[in-house]
This record gives sequence, C-alpha cells and structure tokens, in this order.
Amino acid sequence: MRAALAALVQTLGGCAWDTPMTTVIPRSDFGRDILHLYAIVTWVAAGIALVVGAALVLALVRFRAKPGAPLPVQTRGHTLLEIGWTIAPALVLLVIAIPTLHVIFRTQAAPPAQALEVTVLGRQWWWEFRYPTLGITTANELHLPAGRPAALRLEGPDVIHSFWVPQLGGKRDVVPGRRNQLAFTPEIAGEYWGQCAEFCGVSHANMRMRVIVDAPEAFERWVAAQRVTPPEPSGRAAEGKAIFTSRACVGCHAIRGVSAGVLGPDLTTFGSRRTLAAGLVPNTPANVAAWVKDPGALKPGVKMPVLGLTDDQAKAVAAYLESLK
Amino acid sequence: MNVTGAHATVRTYLKVALVLTGVTILEVGSIYIRQLTPIIVPLLLAMSAAKFALVVLFFMHLRYESRVLTLLFCGPLLLATGIVIALMTLTGAFLVFGR
Amino acid sequence: MGAERSHRAPPASHSRSAPVSWVLATASWITTVDHKRIGILYGVTAFAFFLLGGLEALLIRLQLAAPDAHVVSAETYNALFTMHGTTMVFLAIMPLNAAFFNYMVPLLIGARDVAFPRLNALSYWIFLFGGLFLNASFLVGTPPDVGWFGYANLTSKQFSPSHSVDFWLLSLQLLGVSSMIAAINFIVTIVNMRPPGMRLMRMPVFVWMTLVVQFLIVLAFPPITVGLIFLMFDRFFGSHFYDVAAGGDLHLWQHLFWIFGHPEVYILILPAFGIVSEVLPTFARKPLFGAPVVVYSGVLIGFFGFGVWSHHMFAAGMGPVADAAFSIATMLIAIPTGVKIFNWLATLWGGSIRATTAFHFAVGLVGLFTIGGLSGIMHASPPVDLQQTDSYFVVAHLHYVLIGGSLFGLFAGAYYWWPKITGRLLGERLGKLQFWVLFAGFNTTFFPQHYLGAIGMPRRIYTYAGATGWTLWNTVSTVGAFGIAAGVLLFMVNAWRSLRAGAPAPADPWDGRTLEWRTSSPPPPHDFDTIPPVLGRDTFWREKYGPRGAPPAPSHDHIHLPAPSHWPVVVGLGMAVLAVGALTHLTIVLMGALVTIVGIFRLALEHHRTPAHEHQTGGLGLDHRKVALWVFLGSECFFFGTLIATYLAYRGRSVVGPEPHEILNIPLTTVSTFDLLMSSLLMVLALAAVERDDRRHARLWLFGTAFFGLIFLAFQAWEFTQFVREGLTLQQNLFGSTFFVLTGFHGAHVTVGVVWLLSLWLLDLRGRLRAADAVKVEVAGLYWHFVDVVWIAIFTLVYLIP
Repeated sequence: MRAALAALVQTLGGCAWDTPMTTVIPRSDFGRDILHLYAIVTWVAAGIALVVGAALVLALVRFRAKPGAPLPVQTRGHTLLEIGWTIAPALVLLVIAIPTLHVIFRTQAAPPAQALEVTVLGRQWWWEFRYPTLGITTANELHLPAGRPAALRLEGPDVIHSFWVPQLGGKRDVVPGRRNQLAFTPEIAGEYWGQCAEFCGVSHANMRMRVIVDAPEAFERWVAAQRVTPPEPSGRAAEGKAIFTSRACVGCHAIRGVSAGVLGPDLTTFGSRRTLAAGLVPNTPANVAAWVKDPGALKPGVKMPVLGLTDDQAKAVAAYLESLK
Repeated sequence: MNVTGAHATVRTYLKVALVLTGVTILEVGSIYIRQLTPIIVPLLLAMSAAKFALVVLFFMHLRYESRVLTLLFCGPLLLATGIVIALMTLTGAFLVFGR
Repeated sequence: MGAERSHRAPPASHSRSAPVSWVLATASWITTVDHKRIGILYGVTAFAFFLLGGLEALLIRLQLAAPDAHVVSAETYNALFTMHGTTMVFLAIMPLNAAFFNYMVPLLIGARDVAFPRLNALSYWIFLFGGLFLNASFLVGTPPDVGWFGYANLTSKQFSPSHSVDFWLLSLQLLGVSSMIAAINFIVTIVNMRPPGMRLMRMPVFVWMTLVVQFLIVLAFPPITVGLIFLMFDRFFGSHFYDVAAGGDLHLWQHLFWIFGHPEVYILILPAFGIVSEVLPTFARKPLFGAPVVVYSGVLIGFFGFGVWSHHMFAAGMGPVADAAFSIATMLIAIPTGVKIFNWLATLWGGSIRATTAFHFAVGLVGLFTIGGLSGIMHASPPVDLQQTDSYFVVAHLHYVLIGGSLFGLFAGAYYWWPKITGRLLGERLGKLQFWVLFAGFNTTFFPQHYLGAIGMPRRIYTYAGATGWTLWNTVSTVGAFGIAAGVLLFMVNAWRSLRAGAPAPADPWDGRTLEWRTSSPPPPHDFDTIPPVLGRDTFWREKYGPRGAPPAPSHDHIHLPAPSHWPVVVGLGMAVLAVGALTHLTIVLMGALVTIVGIFRLALEHHRTPAHEHQTGGLGLDHRKVALWVFLGSECFFFGTLIATYLAYRGRSVVGPEPHEILNIPLTTVSTFDLLMSSLLMVLALAAVERDDRRHARLWLFGTAFFGLIFLAFQAWEFTQFVREGLTLQQNLFGSTFFVLTGFHGAHVTVGVVWLLSLWLLDLRGRLRAADAVKVEVAGLYWHFVDVVWIAIFTLVYLIP
C-alpha cells in the first residue's frame, strides 16, 4: 500500500521530479525508507488541507451577512465537538508517528560488518573521502559499489557542514569534535549529486560533490587505479609537473609518489574526475587552467592562493593534472 | 505586605537559620564519610533542596503568600529543572556522575 | 453601521511658532510614558525595520532569480540573509506585536496604563538603539553573515575574525533586555491591574495570548542570553565554551539557541492567533467558539513549546532516542494548534459575515497557517526531515507560518485597530486590493519553494547551477517577491491616505465586543473617563445586546497620569554606548556603564515621594513591584539553570588540568556559604525592623546584610586570585571557563544586591525609608534571598558533588 502511494506521488509529478538533487527518486534503501514516510505525511497533509480549506470556503460562502438579517445564534461552544477534534488529529498523528519511529531506529542501526567504511571529512569548502580499509584517499567525488552497505563516518576539522546526497538518503551534519554516522546501501549504479547543507561560510554554496555508484567490478577497477603511482608524464604534462613540484602546490596537495600535502584535496587521479572545485564545473582542460590561475574567481574565499602563473603555465599544469588518471 | 496577613516571627527566622547552618555542616561533613559514597549524590541533592525550600518558604515568605506568587515562581522553577535535566541527558553528562 | 456620532480629530495647535512646537513635540515623544504613544513608536519603528528587511529579501530574490548570477557577491548575499532573518524576527515581527500589546492591552482589560510606564518607555528605547546598533554594522562594512541562528563554531573568532558576529551578539543581548523588561511589565499589568469583574477567563483572547507570550519571553530569553554570553566570552576573553580542541561541544550552542528559538516562534505567532480570535467573532457577529478551549490550547502550546526544541536538530546526530522523543513531542504540539483552527472555523459557521479587510486577513491567516502548520507536521518526522531540513522546503514552511501567519495576523490587527488608534478609517476597497495582491504575491513566492526543497535546493546558497533544474521556480518566486513588495506598498498608500484625509472613525466602527470600542477613537490620554463595568467575556457586547448579569461594584479610581520622564531614553543611550564601547575602547564601555547606572538610579528615585507611586497595589492585593520581582526570579531560574547545566555538561571534558578536585577549597567555601546564609537572616531581620518602623535596627540589619555580602565577595575575590596563581584561568581549560563564568555571574548578582542594599541603607539615613516603604525592602530582600538560594545550588553542585 505504501509503495503504491509512493509510486503515485512519483507518477503524478512525472519528470518534474527527476532532477539531479531530487529527494523523491531514491537510489538507496535509506532513500526508499524515507520516501515511504514522505508519501504518508504528504497525503495526510494534503488531506487535512483539503478538508480545512473546503470547510473554510464553505463557511465563507454560506454565511455571508444578508442585509437586514438578525443577529446569528450566539453559540459559545460544544464540548463533544472539542473532544472530537482533539482526538481525531491525535489518531491521524499516530498514522505518522508509528512508521516514523520504525524508520528512525532502522536507519540509525549499526551498519553490518561487511559495510564499506568511508571517512568523510567536511572542510571549508570541499569534501575529503578516505577509505581506511582500502588505503586510499580522494576528494569531492565519492565512489561506492552498488549493492554493498556503506558506513560513512563524518568528521570535520573546521566548522559544521552537512553531508547531503538526496538520492541516496537524508542528510547528516559534520560536527567537529563529534563522530556522526550515516549508513545506507546504494542500490542502482549511477552518478548522484550532493551538496553541503549547513551554512559554513563564504563559499557554502560552492561545496558540492558527486557520488559515483559503480557496479562492483567497476568499483574494484576504480580502487585499483587509486593505488597506482601515476606514470611519468611527457610533453606539456611534464612541463606542468615541473611547475607543480616547484611551486607551493606540493605544500597542500597530495599526488601519490609526487607530494604529500594534506591541506588541500588529493589529486592522484584528478584527471578521471567528472568535476572540479567540489562539483562546481566540469573537469575540462580549459576549466582547470582557469581554476589554477585564479581559484578565487570561481570560489570566493577559497583557501587556495593565487600563485601568479601565466596563462601558458596554467595550461601546462592543467595538462599535467588531466593526465593523472 | 502579604495577602493572608500571616507572618513569620523573628523566632521562626532564627530557627530556620539554625537549621540551615546544621544542614550545611551535615552536607560538608558527609563528603568525608567514605561509607556514604554510593549515595552521596542523591544525599547532597536532597540536603541542598531542603535548604533551598527553607529559604524560599520562610525567608522569601512564600509559605504565607498568595498562591499566585507560588505559581509565578514554582512553574518556571520546575520547567527550568526539567530543561536542565534534558540538557544534561542530551549531552551525556549524567554519565559523569557514575565516576 | 447606522448614524453614529463621528469623532473629529482635534485641530492642530497654532499657538506657537512652528520650530518651537516641533521641538516641543519631539521632546514630548522622547519623554513619553503613555502606553498608546509607546505603542505607536514601536509600530512606526518596527515598520521601518520591516521595510529594511523586505529590501534585503528583494536583493536575495534578485540574486537567486537566475543561476550563477552576479547581482551581489557571495559575502554580501550571506550578510543579506543573516540580516533579513535577524531583522524580521527581532526588529519587525516582535516589535510589531509589541506595538499592539502596548496600545491595546490596557484598553482591553479596562486599565489606564501598564504597571510600569517608565520601564515601558525604556523597553522601546533599548529596542530602537539595539536595532540601530545592529544595522550600524552595514555602515562599517562588517554586517553579520553567519545566518540568523549563528551556529558555533562558524561564529568563533577563528572563522569569523571581523566584528560582524560581535555586532550580532551585542545587539541581540540589547534586544533581549528590552523584551524581558517589557514582558515583566505586561505580566504584572495583566495579573495585577484588572478592574473588578475582569476575571482571567473573561479577558479577551488577545490578552490571554499576550500573557502566554510574555511568559515565553521571560523564560526563553535567559538561555539564549547565556549562550550569547558564552560566545561573547569566547570571542572577547578567550574562553572555550565552543572550542572543540578544548573539549567543547558544538551541540551546546544549538541546544541553547533552540531552547530559546522554539518558544520564540510561538512568541511570534501567538499574538496573531490572538488577533484572529478577536477579528473573526467581531465580523461573524458570533462569539469565539470554544473560547476557554482556545485559551487553554494557547497555554498548552506555550508550555509544551519548551519541550520540542531539538526538532531543529534532527540532522545534527543526536541519536535515535533523542530524535524519537522530540519527534513525538513535536507531533503532540500540533494538536492544540489544530484545535484552534477548528474553533475558528466553528466561529464562522452559522455566523453573519461582514467581509471587511481585517476579516480578509484573519481568514488568510487561517488558511495559510494551516498550510504552514501541515508542512511543519511533515518536518516532525525525523527521517522525512532529513531530506527537508536546511532546504527550501523549510524556508517555505517558515515563511508560511511567519508571513501567512504572523504578518497576515498583524495586518488584520492593523485594519481592525487603525480606527481606534488614529481616529480614521483605512480604505476598504484599497485594503481588499492590498490583501489580494499580498496573498497572490506571497503564495507565488513561497509555494514553489516547497517543490524547490523537494528537488534538493539547500538553503543559504548565494547561487546555484542551472543544471539542477531549480531555475524556473526560482524566477517565479522572485516575481512573487515583488508582488509582496507591491502589497506592502499598497498598505503604505492606504495608511497615508487615511492619515491625510481618511473618513473619521466613530468609537465603535465594527460593532465590537471588547472594551476598547467603548472609548473614543482615538482614546483620551487617560483611556477611559470611567473604568468600565465588566459583565463577562465580550463584556461590551453584553452591554449592548445582553445577557447582562449582575454588574460588579464600581471601582473608585482617581485618574493619575504618569508624568513624562527623560531617564528611559538616557538609560537606553547608555546601553547603546556600552555596546559601541565593546567594539572600540574600554573608556567608552566605562562611559556607557556610567550613564546607564546613573540613569537607572535616577529612574528608580524619580518619583520617590509621589503619593501615587507609594501605593502600587493591584486587584489581588499584591504590590506591582513584588509580582514583578517574583516573575524576574522565575527568569533567573532559567538563567542560572542554564549556567549550571553547562557546568555539569562540561564536567570532566577538560583536555588539560587543573581539575576541580585539585583546586577547589571546600573548607574556605563552606565559611563563605555560611556567611551568605547568615546574610539572609540579617535581611529578614531588616525587613521586620522596617515594617515596625524601627529605624535604628533597620539601618543596622540592612548594613549588616550588605556587609556580609561584601565579605562573601571578598572570599570570592581571594578564591579567584588563588586559582589564577595556581594556573586556573578562564582561558586555561573548559573547567576554568565554566567555573569562572558561573560563579562570576553569581558574584555579579551579589554585587548588584550589595549596591541595592546600600542604596536602601542610604535612603534610610536620609529618613526616606518608613514603614510605608517596606515593600521596597521586601523586594530587595526577595532578590537577595534568591541569590543566596542559587549559591546553595552552586555550592552543592560545583564544590561538594564528587
């Protein structure tokens, strides 16, 4: 019954709901649990709104003052009615409360032993993803295998952020000093958009991310690619690497076998990411060059400094970064 | 002046002051008695609550005042206590008392 | 309406030259203590801030109309939404409500003014200066930009180094003081100044809602005051309340803020509910259906409103048990709210409806608040809320309840009471046009935002990508915002036309049910020529149409109008200077403090010998000042309760030493505790002496109490210096921060008490403390004993409990 209601909600909206950050087309168990509840509360709310609205309109139309009419009966109240419309809402609320309690405890249960552990660090204004059991670190693009439970531990070194990938479920705050958890099983492969959902400073709007849910074999390939030291580049990319290693870049960024910076995103497989600057723009050479030359133009307040690169130097660095697959 | 006309006498005040002194001595003494350690927290809370009540009822005259004033004070007092307990529960502070 | 006597507005005075009469007029407004004028001051000032907040909103909507727009920078946008929220909540809706409290409550209960007219003026001036101080941040280029609920630790010095957050927290403290003083004033007025016959259950529902709101203010503001004190101490003095590295818990700020924040939303909406409860019956020509139930449900909402605050924190990671508890509590609170809606519907049912503009707005509230309340119920389910919170869905929800609810209610009140306040009618045709424009604009702006939230648009983002699919309905929403602006403009046109040449209003233009319609429009300075008899609920209606019942014995009152005073504006100014000094230089802080303290003393002693001020006893036989102090002590339970809760919550979380058991000196503190207990004994002896006009002993015991207080302070000063020497400072660790702030504020309270007692002692020396003045000593005594009682709690919880 609830599945039917949820499906009805979806079909009514049609593709008006099929947007990248939609909350009503779930792709995980967590998301589906929420949607069932969402459907219930929406129908209840719509039903009550209809009843109250109809009563209001009816009263306004039917009881308009007629010229010369006497004073209406000065009814003061009706005890039975009061009891009735106190108990009725309470019963309606039960319909919401009982499944709510169910879902709260089910979705906050400890993740199963075979869950893939990911540590999510929310930082001003990008996302770091560490896979402690796999020994890899990446940034702004989270890869997860379809069908396997994921156990996200949310930590933060600066201010409060909130991890939200609507199609994979609800959000959870990243609170410095606390270890919050989010557990779910992504069910369908695809690319999902996420965004920070707790105001965290100047570029809060620019703290976005992508979650790539891979089929298990594709995920294994991705993991393997993260572990490989990138080969020596040639041509333009080599020029770029020379600039990268001789400038401040190495102080903040880590590239396996090249640098070990921890203040900025890990760039080991930057070239294979679909977006840059935390989900802001597509990962194209032109965008990368522009970013490297003047990150603040795209992301106000960004901690990455302007290094005074020329256009040519920026393009070389871009070529190097794009070669990191 | 108060509504009911009843009034505590100076003797009452002196007796209350004596009891307050006595309870304070008991309170401070009890933390040094090792046998009381398992119940020390509820014991101390009860004793300080008793002192609290004595000052409010007698020195602040609430025992002899109109019920309106009792309501105006005790309502917020109870609500505040509830919120304090809720806050401590939410922040996990009650675990500290177990140490 | 029949042929009623019209009441002409009095002609302007031409007896003085124009500039002089301007100066005199301004001076009379600056020194006014008349609740009607103060109400107008609140209304005009709040409306100006409302327009400012609206401008901020329009800029926000312009920036969001298209993806990747550059109407304003990210920094500016973040300041805009912060200031928009803070302005609308604290500088617009709350004081607009206060405008009606001020003007109407005394009239509605049949009183001539509020209990403390000069404190009433003081509340206004602190509000004005607080609002100006907040907006001065724009002028120096550092407006607050952390959101209206400023989550720690974004607000820390590390992540918000400029003065932006300081402007925010200091002005909130000022506004809090203003609200609290006003709240105590109104509680005493409603409790103590009702004429014979005006029993509590006969009071108009608007007065009841006002009463509940004042209690909410008095009890909800202390927690946020404490939360802001913690933030202030972190930023100015290096304490660690919100310092994660030192063991601080960032959830603490959220809890303290929302323990205030949730009652705050009921503070914002209940007055509107009260207005609707007056407007609907008047224009349906039927009594409010289930009036006692509407009253009880308001009281229940107020009370339970203190138990649901963490529903703002469902995404914060409190754990499933806390989520479940607050979810159930939130759903429960929906029941009394729904009951009100049903009672309003039943009021209309079977009525004879005259659809005036005021009525339009009241009905608008019923419909729009229902929508807002229903989206609120959706939020009450934590799993659903995890998708909706921090998105445009909650933005839609909050605007439906705050605009569709509070603002529509305020407009209903404006159209309803405008004739009474100004003596003129607002245009009905223009009014109804205004309603429909506002209604259409509002729904166009905010209904689509439910959808935007459902397709994942987070809140507080200055821009977004077009590929998200959010563009179309953002553009529509922006168009709607200009519709709202047009609606507000139409009101201003209507108001202007009414003031210049509107039809004169009779005393009772609507065939009303309550006492304000029994006096002229506008009322004379003394409100009523004679205090009206109270025959029951809807007493004026009963006078006109019956049933009459037995009229109560007429009250013999003499008309005493409180004299104007310039001390309220001086104290307000002093406090503003204090705030400015906090951001500039210590000397300015001291100057501000001096002006404030001198002002307070002059205010307190201004009418010391006027007969009317010696007897301030109300209908229950209680003195106004005594009732006021007990209410204040209730708020102090929350103030110290919050400080103590924080101390206990942070116990054992310090990352470095020293620890309490290493440093607290129990034997010494036992002596100082005993000293304070004995001071209470001396205090009751002092009161007994004053009551029997024994001036020698009164002086002895008063001085003795103060002296014992000074001894306590000496002990505390010694303790503090010892601790600093042993390495425990405010900055050292969490224990240092919580200990010094808790005991320090207690010490500050003792200091105020000592000053108070010494002042009374000095008054006695000058022969100005006789038996008739005993209530002044009694009130000081109550304060003193309470400070003692708080120490009893602190001594046990901080020093003794292992």
